[in-house]
Amino acid sequence: MNPDRSSESNKPGLYVHIPFCSSICPYCDFAVLTGNRSRQERFVSHLLREIELADDHGGHHGHRGKMRGFDTVYFGGGTPSFLYAEGLSEIVSAISKKGWLDTGCRWFLEANPEDVTLSSLSVWQELGIRTLSLGVQSLDDEALPWLGRHHTVDDVHRSVGRVREAGFQSLSLDLIYGRPGQELADWRKELETAVALEPDHLSCYQLTIHDRTLFGRRQREGEVMEASEDRQAELFRLTHEFLAAAGYEGYEVSNFARSVAHRSHHNQKYWYHTPYLGLGPSAHSFDGRSRFWNEGSLFDWQKKIDDGESGVEGRETLSDEELLLEAVMLRMRTKDGLDLAWIRDNFDIDFLKLNEDVVAKLSADGLLELDENWLRPTLDGLAVADRLAVAFNIGTAVK
Amino acid sequence: MALDQIRNFCIIAHIDHGKSTLADRLIQRCGGVSDREFRDQILDSMDLERERGITIKSNTVSLHYKAKDGRDYLLNLIDTPGHVDFSHEVRRSLMSSDGALILVDAAQGVEAQTVANLYLAMEHNLTLLPVINKIDLPAADIERVQEEIDTDLGLDGLEAIPVSAKLGQGIDELLEAIIERLPPPTGDPGAPLQALIFDAQYDAYRGVILYCRIKQGTVKPGQTIRLMHTEKEYEVEEVGLLQLKRVKQEELSAGAVGYLIANIKAVHDIAIGDTVTHKDNPAPKPLPGYKEAKPVVFSSIYPMSTDEYEDLTKALEKLTLNDPALTYQKDSSAALGFGFRCGFLGLLHLDVIQERLQREYDLSLLLSAPSVQYRITTEKEGLLMVDNPSRFPDPMHIIKSEEPFIKASVMMPERYLGAVMELCRERRGVNTAFNYLAVGRVELTSELPLAEVLFDFYDRLKTVTQGYGSFDYEMLDYRETQIVKVDILVNGESVDALSQVVHVDNARPRALHYCERLAETIPKQQFKIAIQGAIGGQIIARTTINAFRKDVTAKCYGGDITRKRKLLEKQKEGKKRMKMVGAVEIPQSAFVAVLKTDES
Repeated sequence: MNPDRSSESNKPGLYVHIPFCSSICPYCDFAVLTGNRSRQERFVSHLLREIELADDHGGHHGHRGKMRGFDTVYFGGGTPSFLYAEGLSEIVSAISKKGWLDTGCRWFLEANPEDVTLSSLSVWQELGIRTLSLGVQSLDDEALPWLGRHHTVDDVHRSVGRVREAGFQSLSLDLIYGRPGQELADWRKELETAVALEPDHLSCYQLTIHDRTLFGRRQREGEVMEASEDRQAELFRLTHEFLAAAGYEGYEVSNFARSVAHRSHHNQKYWYHTPYLGLGPSAHSFDGRSRFWNEGSLFDWQKKIDDGESGVEGRETLSDEELLLEAVMLRMRTKDGLDLAWIRDNFDIDFLKLNEDVVAKLSADGLLELDENWLRPTLDGLAVADRLAVAFNIGTAVK
Repeated sequence: MALDQIRNFCIIAHIDHGKSTLADRLIQRCGGVSDREFRDQILDSMDLERERGITIKSNTVSLHYKAKDGRDYLLNLIDTPGHVDFSHEVRRSLMSSDGALILVDAAQGVEAQTVANLYLAMEHNLTLLPVINKIDLPAADIERVQEEIDTDLGLDGLEAIPVSAKLGQGIDELLEAIIERLPPPTGDPGAPLQALIFDAQYDAYRGVILYCRIKQGTVKPGQTIRLMHTEKEYEVEEVGLLQLKRVKQEELSAGAVGYLIANIKAVHDIAIGDTVTHKDNPAPKPLPGYKEAKPVVFSSIYPMSTDEYEDLTKALEKLTLNDPALTYQKDSSAALGFGFRCGFLGLLHLDVIQERLQREYDLSLLLSAPSVQYRITTEKEGLLMVDNPSRFPDPMHIIKSEEPFIKASVMMPERYLGAVMELCRERRGVNTAFNYLAVGRVELTSELPLAEVLFDFYDRLKTVTQGYGSFDYEMLDYRETQIVKVDILVNGESVDALSQVVHVDNARPRALHYCERLAETIPKQQFKIAIQGAIGGQIIARTTINAFRKDVTAKCYGGDITRKRKLLEKQKEGKKRMKMVGAVEIPQSAFVAVLKTDES
């Protein structure tokens, strides 16, 4: 579909949610828990059961489809690196035995720097994991405790060194910016440190304050918990410009890759409506038309599995209009932008004609570029991608 | 019944001094209503009146009373509204009465409206009977109030009847005093008919019901009557007394207060204050004191959503059936769509109509800033009456502008005098004067432009007098002034619904106020938005809304997509309700926020 997306496959991906963390970060609103060994073991046995039954589950929520030929398996969380090693091995081998996987399948794992030890690295390597994503969050020793993190910048250096020595194919670092009062110079320093570590991929997320988090509560109580909007815009621009100059292309709002080949193969599936199967509490699945979501709480998810059901709590089937709206919303977050030919082929509408005025206006405002059959957000456009999505007319898409 | 067995009287009081409660007590004592029928404050029939504890629409009730002298009396209690906006209704009630109870709160004492209404009552030669209510209150100070009645009202404070309407104390004494001290009506049943229309109510089955006081002559069904001011003729179908429900009678004659039904289709066909006479044997002239109720405050009402326009039309039609003082005509705004330019008797009237539309008709409304009616003399079109900024003529052609003035009266403890004088000065008051009433109390009078009272005057007065100041006004005259039309521009485009005609001194602060409110309420957009206040081409105030620079969710993976799409659908829905001014989207909430400040 996309000449720029040579790295992208149309094969489905598999996501496995590991809901445990050593402690809960004050900004995090994901489905996470702390968990001792026995709680983790219970989870693993339920997950194995979900894997075992994944093909059979029809149930009243319908079938998640018999997805086959996954070319990515992604362990996310939570902190997958926090899971006890035997548990992780059992899960990997259960997945491998299913015969679900494509021959070139790549395995990803999210890890905390403090969990990256020589022994854990060797376990992961043995399991076939080739890409690690490190939850670094900050490269400023003063910021780390504020973010509720237990590692130091030195720990990060050590972990990255070990990962490299162990010969992992690809390494990604996660960072957070936009702390209250964060200066451009401070963030530039962190970016310099990050680039010096020579990762293949970087995710730089703007700090987001969610209601049901400790930070959310502090904000409600009147504390300033994030940078001003103007500063956020400056930090956003700095991030993209600095990393571009350092050879990292910002291919999505928060994601940067050393080359097209190093883009997150798994995450791109979410943005291009490529099917994916999600296992574990709160995981989402998508079969190209319907989306399914598992029970969010570990308890409810386990109960469903105990009852012999799938872990699915709900589903929605997207109308053409919803699918197109999502596509516009997601593509406006990517540097490649929106493929008008794809819309024409799949929805039988002339999107450009429907949005002549919108495109003219957004282009004049410097937020959008029309390039042949592609609508691409500019950097200023990416910064306000949520607004762009609202601006377009979706029309009544009829296939 | 002989004339000397009839008493026609009304109760005048400041708002909240317990007029309706006293009326209830009198009705109960005279058995005018059974206990089952009795609802507190029976004369306040609208829900809104009951809730706010104020009387807007007067009601009338005839009571049978057996006095201590052993004779039966007919007491016609003519209710009066207690608020200044409705002084024309007060006037009509007074004209139908021969006496009035002046009700004074035993804790609050004499207040501005008490005095204003007292003067009205004196104009109509009514016999006055002071009554001190709420003597049961711990804060009641009967001696002080007696002194105030003496000094402020010029009546004998010692003759005032102390009552507690709430507890029913003193009601018997009051009834006896009404018989002894208020005069019976006079008039000749055989003379040519002169009946004063003091109120009217629309009934879906019978048409307009006229409430009349018969001054001279007699009227009965079958006769042809003539309304002397409107010059219309009708055949009388039914006459009777008002005893909470209508009680049919064979005739009504001089001295009586009752109703008259004559197949009249709409309230607009008649005029309150008009005189009814016979077609065949007409009175030589109508009764004096007829005055048309003219709206003095104007505002445009728009439905929040355009599909409520039809409902709004119907609701206004219905409201005017019973409220001829409310006027309306079609109006339209580029930003807000179709609506109506409405005329009101005052701010409270506006408030009441707005609430009734919202509550009884379930409409969501947007009201433009209230305006007075200006008199503008132009070179080309001569004299123009302008109550709508959209009709404001080209300033180049204006020879002279005039605005309505009122005589405001504020009564307050003397310690607030300085603050209130300052407030009047700020509001362009002239000929401000004061005189001392009872010890420590002052009445201040000032001639103020009505327009100045429309903009948060009540609130400010309440604040500077800590709630102790009471306010009343009457219309004076038109005076020469310097007015300008202030437009609000959003990125250079004028927002018609926000245009205002104001005094030249107020132009800049008012424009700035609007600009700031808009800047607070219009959400950031992709481009910088300039909000300006302008007189013609001259910019007098300016604020800006910076462009959106960052609006994107950091993370958007599997679980975020559905949530995000739903949010987007909501935003798209909200976008449909935005009003477009040029390229700028203005949410309705911005209009509400800007316009609301002016109503309060």
